[in-house]
Amino acid sequence: MEDNEIISKVTECVANALGRDEEEVKLESVLSRDLEAESIDYLDITFQLEKAFGIKIEKDELFPQKIFQDARYVSDGVVTADGLAFLEQKLPYADIASFRVDPKVTAVPNLFTVSLLVNYVKTKIAA
Amino acid sequence: MRYVLIDRCLELDKGVRIRTVKCVTRGEPFLRELDRYPPTLVLETLLQTGAALARVTAGGDKRSFLGKITEAEFPAFAQAGDRIDVLVEAIQSRPDGTMLHGEARVDGALVGRAEFMIGFLPAELVPAPDPKADERRRLTRKAIGLPPVEEA
Repeated sequence: MEDNEIISKVTECVANALGRDEEEVKLESVLSRDLEAESIDYLDITFQLEKAFGIKIEKDELFPQKIFQDARYVSDGVVTADGLAFLEQKLPYADIASFRVDPKVTAVPNLFTVSLLVNYVKTKIAA
Repeated sequence: MRYVLIDRCLELDKGVRIRTVKCVTRGEPFLRELDRYPPTLVLETLLQTGAALARVTAGGDKRSFLGKITEAEFPAFAQAGDRIDVLVEAIQSRPDGTMLHGEARVDGALVGRAEFMIGFLPAELVPAPDPKADERRRLTRKAIGLPPVEEA
């Protein structure tokens, strides 16, 4: 599947799940901050992606919950080196390089962009 | 039992479909001053039926909640004396939720249709066991004819 087709389908899935116009959904859009996604919307997006691409998304695979339960991963509200390594392992399709610049734990939700979804789908399809 | 809007489960094919019946009676408080059964209650019957399917399919001590209603229409009204036949089918099932499509008909005519999502609470949000409430739920399920929920 061509990249443009993947982007187009992911955009449609996100727009459907969040009740948005497709024009509002950009690659760089953060699901929570820019598109006001709430917790139940992540489940809806998962359903939409599974249906659109015929893929199986395991629980916590795309939107892992309780990422930082381990105290080693966060110190004074900042993600530690161990935490960053954990993030890279858990979310290999996220832009961790940009996150490293100012790795506040409160910024973790900003990793979940439309671009992350596109990269995730590409990885799944290629697998 | 007042807000259980399913009278009987006729069929439950785990993970696939469920058929239930809701009979509308003049004695219901909703109909004391109305001729038409409120469509929101038809919707509630669809949702309760879908939740029953999702719950039995998931098994274990999960607690379900209504996530979203993505589509709904009510082309006609049910009235006192009507038997509402409900069919709900699972469209997609995951460990954390189920997408469902349901239809409610009276004598074959569509009175309600909805597509909706039932989610399951994460384990840490499931309330502590309440033996009295659990027993009430068990008796309600038995009265309706729903199969027991199997352990996960």
